[in-house]
Amino acid sequence: MPQLRCFMKCTAIILALFLSGCSIYSAPGSEPVPVESNPEYTPVTPAATAPQTAPSAPEPNSSDAYRGLLDKADTATGRGDYEQALALLERAQRIDPDSGEIYLGLAKTYRAKGDEKLAVATAERGLLYCDGKAQCDALRTYLN
Amino acid sequence: MIRTRHLLLKLALTAFVIASLCLIYLNARITATFADKMWELPAKVYARPLELFVGARLTREDLAYELQVLGYRKVSVLRNPGEVTQSGGRFDIFTRGFTFPSERELAHRIKVVTGPERVEQLSAGGKALDLMRLDPLQIGGIYPSHGEDRVLVRLADVPEALRLGLLAVEDQSFYQHWGFSFTGIARAALSNVRSGQVVAGGSTITQQLIKNYYLTPERTLVRKLTEVVMAVLLEFHSSKDEILESYINEVYLGQEGPRSIHGFALAARHYFDTPLDQLGLHQQALLVGMIKGPSLYNPLRNPKRAKARRDVVLDVMARQGVISTEHAVIAKAMSLGLNNHGRVRDSFPAFLDLVRRQLRLEYHEDDLTTLGLSIFTSFDPLLQRQLERSTTEVMDKLDKGGELQSASVVTRFDTGEVAALVGGRKVRYAGFNRALDARRPAGSLLKPAVYLAALEQPRKYTLATPLQDTTLTVAGPGGQNWSPRNFDRTAHGEVLLHSALAKSYNLATARLGMDLGLEAVVDMLRRLGITGPVPEVPSLTLGAGEYSPMDMAAMYQTIAAGGFRMPLRSIRDIVDAHGQPLRRYPLEYDRTVSLQAIHLVHYAMREVVREGTGRGVYRYLKPDFEVAGKTGTTNQGRDSWFAGFSGDLLAITWIGHDDNNGTGLTGSSGALKVWADFMAGASERSLSYRMPDNIETHWIDNRHGVLTGEGCPDARMLPFIAGSEPAKSTGCRPRKSPVADWFQSLFGGDN
Repeated sequence: MPQLRCFMKCTAIILALFLSGCSIYSAPGSEPVPVESNPEYTPVTPAATAPQTAPSAPEPNSSDAYRGLLDKADTATGRGDYEQALALLERAQRIDPDSGEIYLGLAKTYRAKGDEKLAVATAERGLLYCDGKAQCDALRTYLN
Repeated sequence: MIRTRHLLLKLALTAFVIASLCLIYLNARITATFADKMWELPAKVYARPLELFVGARLTREDLAYELQVLGYRKVSVLRNPGEVTQSGGRFDIFTRGFTFPSERELAHRIKVVTGPERVEQLSAGGKALDLMRLDPLQIGGIYPSHGEDRVLVRLADVPEALRLGLLAVEDQSFYQHWGFSFTGIARAALSNVRSGQVVAGGSTITQQLIKNYYLTPERTLVRKLTEVVMAVLLEFHSSKDEILESYINEVYLGQEGPRSIHGFALAARHYFDTPLDQLGLHQQALLVGMIKGPSLYNPLRNPKRAKARRDVVLDVMARQGVISTEHAVIAKAMSLGLNNHGRVRDSFPAFLDLVRRQLRLEYHEDDLTTLGLSIFTSFDPLLQRQLERSTTEVMDKLDKGGELQSASVVTRFDTGEVAALVGGRKVRYAGFNRALDARRPAGSLLKPAVYLAALEQPRKYTLATPLQDTTLTVAGPGGQNWSPRNFDRTAHGEVLLHSALAKSYNLATARLGMDLGLEAVVDMLRRLGITGPVPEVPSLTLGAGEYSPMDMAAMYQTIAAGGFRMPLRSIRDIVDAHGQPLRRYPLEYDRTVSLQAIHLVHYAMREVVREGTGRGVYRYLKPDFEVAGKTGTTNQGRDSWFAGFSGDLLAITWIGHDDNNGTGLTGSSGALKVWADFMAGASERSLSYRMPDNIETHWIDNRHGVLTGEGCPDARMLPFIAGSEPAKSTGCRPRKSPVADWFQSLFGGDN
């Protein structure tokens, strides 16, 4: 009996592997479009967890790098120099394009400058990059 | 007798009147032009400055290249700005400092330690630095038709030895004469009589300035007389120091292609890559010596002759007491101290062309060539180097004959900035700029617009919607029928929408486009950023029309940026000659396409490179490096296209013949290779998976497009706009599968 159970398990695993492989590579129709083959590609096998937003690993220390720029931008906004503030924030964004914090800073400055359309567009885009409920909620307020 | 005297008087009077008029005219010429605005200063075009911070993705080789093209000299001990020492991944740099628009970066000594991929340490004076930037590379200028270029300098900033050496060699009695010198003329006349030809001019510095600035170079008595009169007039109107300062800024010191080098400050940069105030004595003497014959004594072409001339100048300087004999001996023992690194200025004609076109929308040509504007661009020398390498290496393999052409555009899609551009196979040749001016059908590169128009209607279309990839005939303009075919000339029957795009099926796409209506496809192309003519004909669905690589970059920029349309920018800031900001080109965007529909098309474009026509990219990229892309091929293989993006860069590549002949290439066997080779060498970030609000994933039976369970036959996970998933199901119950596809792997934390 243990041999039979082992045989059934092995058969099930092989069948599962075969069917999964089909699900990846099966193509409707008979002949595929001529493409270059990719012999080096093999499917990766991570744990198949439920999908969710998975941002890339943050740039190490990039927030340290742009923190000073954000502070200067705040000061510039405070004195009404929005162009200077935006120039600083854009520089910060070039350093870390994935920072929700910078998107929030840009949206705030556009609103302070009176450019509501750009403030909304920036917040909407920033929602793809926001980190944590507080930051995401702050960006969502611009969409209402 | 009286009559004769009257005649002489009349003649004398006439001569006096003519001479007076000439004097008035010459005086007016001097007073009208010899003022603050006498110099025509070409606009300088700068690349982006390299930002340094701990964690910045920068290899040792990249930093070494950046410093090399910036002209930093490798030394053993740092003494002056513009010097660097390197030991493995450690760089000690004495930065030059730079005045950026509204901000100044001071010159200081910094230590940068690079690891295999990133900057690991950044400090100055033992203290950690958060952020700093190097001075930007000047990649070119916008010169007037006569090609004069110069960098202005004040007399007070000219090294004393250079000033005194100039006077010792060119005009010893400068501070004594009134514009011309009898002794100088006598000395020159004697030399000319002795040699039997004109070998010396005997001109003072004032005369030379007049000759260079106002007169033609021919040697006639009238011109000489005019020169002397104007020199005296100039001395009357200006101080000696003003004249000397003007001479130092005007003097011609060589040629670099169409660009002529004027003034000591620019010559110092050109020959030594060093600011004038930091030149060594041996370098100053060489510049003074070159005045006699900038071409004859050009140290880059005639180093031996230049060195001999420099040594003569050093001897004169010692004899005149400007320097000590010991200093002269030491300076004579030194090499020429030239900047020997490969020049990159004006080496990127395609990108400069783009900058010029953007500038000419707002500035007159005269302003660009005379006002001394500084143009700060988004050009990235490191990306350009990789793009040029990839283009040359791949094209040389594809076509050894050199007939096939290529063009590429690279943008940083987060900001919409153009970072690199290649306009032809000869990457640095200033000819036809195919990146901007080639007008070609786009083939399947337009297909994402058709699918986006469909996916914006989630009640009707999803990634799992079955499409018919079967033959069709559509009545076209002029009563002609249009019957498209698939590339493999096979109809594939029922296919799911995501596969039809990933495998670039023409029949399914044409049917989809016709179902949507051509107006919907045109509308989508407009929203994506295509501004030129778009033919509203059935074949538009498969790429009909004429588009440049830059047009395709505008379209894919919107797709890569998640549905936010941005005008592509090459210029960040413009600053006037006094350092005052004139114009900033801000980040601007507008969401023109549904975030969710774009997200679904991103899925299909990832599938293109994992399972579809773009699989060849993984011959170049690491298996876990995520990108999205689309191939394009036109009839008879006339055009080979590839468009795609990673986590930081968007690149468009086109390959074809200028005469529109077939290339024998498809998108995947041609342009894809240049694109993938470039991305493998240049892209720093894998494409992340960012799910917007209102997107869900479901397991779908990939044959019929209905719901199924995980691990069931033909199951694959697909994203859907919430509520648009299929209602029908296979009824198969979920079971665990040990193998995940590339889409599921996005959630495994590897990316």
